[in-house]
Amino acid sequence: MTLPTEKVDVVIVGSGAAGSAMAAKLAAGGKQVVILEAGPERGNRDLISSGIWARRLKWNGESVVEDGENPVGHVFNAGYGIGGSAMHHFAVWPRMHEEDFEMRSLYDRGLDWPFSYADLQAHYDQVQRESGIAGDAEKEIWRPPAEPYPMPPVPRFAQGSVIARGFDKLGMHTAPLPLAVTTREYNGREACIWDGWCGAGCPIGALANPLIIDLPIAFAHGAVLQANATVSRILSNVTGEFVTGVEFNNEAGETRQLMADLVVLAAFTVQNPRLMLASANDKHPSGLANSSGTLGKFIMSHSAALVYGLFDENTSCHLGAVGGQLVNQDGYGKNTHADAGAFGSYQWMIAQAVKPNDLLGMATTRPDLFGHDLHAFMQDAAHGFAGMTAVIEDLPLAENAVTLSSTLDRFGTPLARVTHTTHAQSKLLWQAVLEEGQAVFKAAGAREVWTGPQAAMHIMGGTIMGQDPAHSVCNTYGQAHDIPNLVIAGAGLFPTSAGVNPTFTIHALAARSSEHLLNHWNSIVQ
Amino acid sequence: MPQTRRAFIRTTGIGLLSFYVAGCKLELTPGEARQQDIPFQVLQVEQVRILEAFGEVLLPGSAAAGLAHFIDHQLNAAPADQLLMIKYLGVDPPFTAFYTQGLAALNDTAKSVHGVQFFELSVDQKIALTGQIALANPDGWAGPPAPFFYFVLRNDAVDVFYGTKQGIESLGIPYMAHIEPPSRWGE
Ligand SMILES: Cc1cc2nc3c(=O)[nH]c(=O)nc-3n(C[C@H](O)[C@H](O)[C@H](O)COP(=O)(O)OP(=O)(O)OC[C@H]3O[C@@H](n4cnc5c(N)ncnc54)[C@H](O)[C@@H]3O)c2cc1C
Ligand code: SF4
Repeated sequence: MTLPTEKVDVVIVGSGAAGSAMAAKLAAGGKQVVILEAGPERGNRDLISSGIWARRLKWNGESVVEDGENPVGHVFNAGYGIGGSAMHHFAVWPRMHEEDFEMRSLYDRGLDWPFSYADLQAHYDQVQRESGIAGDAEKEIWRPPAEPYPMPPVPRFAQGSVIARGFDKLGMHTAPLPLAVTTREYNGREACIWDGWCGAGCPIGALANPLIIDLPIAFAHGAVLQANATVSRILSNVTGEFVTGVEFNNEAGETRQLMADLVVLAAFTVQNPRLMLASANDKHPSGLANSSGTLGKFIMSHSAALVYGLFDENTSCHLGAVGGQLVNQDGYGKNTHADAGAFGSYQWMIAQAVKPNDLLGMATTRPDLFGHDLHAFMQDAAHGFAGMTAVIEDLPLAENAVTLSSTLDRFGTPLARVTHTTHAQSKLLWQAVLEEGQAVFKAAGAREVWTGPQAAMHIMGGTIMGQDPAHSVCNTYGQAHDIPNLVIAGAGLFPTSAGVNPTFTIHALAARSSEHLLNHWNSIVQ
Repeated sequence: MPQTRRAFIRTTGIGLLSFYVAGCKLELTPGEARQQDIPFQVLQVEQVRILEAFGEVLLPGSAAAGLAHFIDHQLNAAPADQLLMIKYLGVDPPFTAFYTQGLAALNDTAKSVHGVQFFELSVDQKIALTGQIALANPDGWAGPPAPFFYFVLRNDAVDVFYGTKQGIESLGIPYMAHIEPPSRWGE
């Protein structure tokens, strides 16, 4: 693929979930699309099944300075190279709930999303058909209005049954976890074989990652992807009303420019605002499209509530997908734990397939053990280990933000500094949910139950969308309020974080945004 | 295009540790490198002795599995190729100072408390000191935060011992690779 030198219709920064989805839709809509990706070229055959080798998929770009009491864990939570973090994400794809879109109106928190669930539903349904999601719509009693799932649900292995027993005993409900993973052959993709290697990237196409879903469509419609191309600045015209392209550094370290009618920033939640802040000019002195002063602000990260147990029976905990087998959203209502002073939504992802090593491995759940005790634990855990993780809503705070560090990267661009401290009520929710999880494991008959530390999972906000240009960076379609041909894609748009994983919503937003851009092209670009 | 499982297993075989010995490139697992006494690129002999002794306390068998060669090799690799877990624990590369300063602090603590190097302590003394640094910096500790150093090194030991095909299978768990990692790791 040769990189065009002439002006193109669209340049997309980043080839992860958001960038690839935008590329597929805009290229299929007839636009000439170029994707610039900072990280390396990568194919299915590079996805080695090993927790150690999988670390090559993690963020390896310019350092990110982390601050605050609860850092966002950028290197772990971000990917690098073709497909971005989505290449090794776990594909838990639940929908946000109707009330998540009205946080200001209903609960006086954060901002309302600039549209309702009903406005997004058709896009969720479209993405669900295209990417393939396995689930059981009837058993998922909390699910908002939606088309049924196109694939039968994920199977339940022993670990799922053991934990489900605890939920049953407490009168709580479980349903198969909605996963963007094939439970049967789907659109030419092989069915999953439940070996638990999702975190190293699924090379057989069972998991909906960009290499399988969107990039082939984009390429089939002529899109060009340039790897090892790090965008360092967004260029704008003299009046500051439009962006005109981007400046990037190629593998040889040369600085190049690519001009485009439309610039889509899909470089993930931290790099998008960093690039906009670093592209300040005399017309946008505090960062591109920052007349509201909210650029970089309201960074959110779900806290993970981690509960583990040992059971006497064999849990076969190596089987399944890493995302898990079952879901529980009984506590999704925002005030479930109000008596503990907590506020917000959460869901349990139950019975994740687990390996012995790495950050999410069995050994790491008991950092206190070493020596022969650790060996004994590993032998025990290999047979009777079980775990589940709750996704805890993180309430937005303006002081949680991406700002520019005074340190420059190798191209002369200031590094990003991300400050994040969990909102007090979100922290109380994390604590209350941990209690609930331990009660579930005890009810399930665990002989030992323990919990993990508060860990960051998913990064959202920083380029939030809203109706009011005075209080948000982007409009309902991800266009910057101040610069209509600058579009943001990804979870950076989320004004509030909800209590579910973000990637299905990222795809639905990309479908909605690209449809609007194609339908109103001439009025958006100069 | 998606690959089938069989096709992958046929097309693998990459990624062994590479060592240059007398101008020849050898591809070995960390365990094999240790057996063959392959020279270290980054770590000094004394650091290796401390590291292996510490590894044996953290997870007996990890020294023989090649903990020191694994860390040495990774510290010598380009950042993009480094596979140490520390890369996503909030420490910026290069990581050499983290390891060498941590090992020095551990050894200095052994010397100041017991008057001998860490690897010369009795087994009980090593275990007691390890238990102590797992919880807090001992008096006079001059390295990365001791509990964090313990956490990282412990996980490195787990990587080498249990993170390989052989290690996973030693727990009775089938490896079930789509794409086999370097086939001889830990064997
Ligand atoms: C271990 C893990 C498990 C996860 N599991 C789930 C899950 O089960 N469900 C779920 O919903 N979400 C999950 N996620 C989150 C999911 O991966 C992200 O929500 C999603 O990938 C974000 O999409 P994105 O396109 O915004 O960013 P990414 O997919 O990260 O892509 C961004 C791309 O931009 C590139 N880039 C950055 N800066 C530049 C630059 N300056 N120039 C050019 N390119 C640049 C990066 O290299 C990267 O390739 C998980 C994430 C991780 C790390
Ligand atoms: S468990 Fe399924 S989705 Fe995950 S890596 Fe294996 S085949 Fe792919």
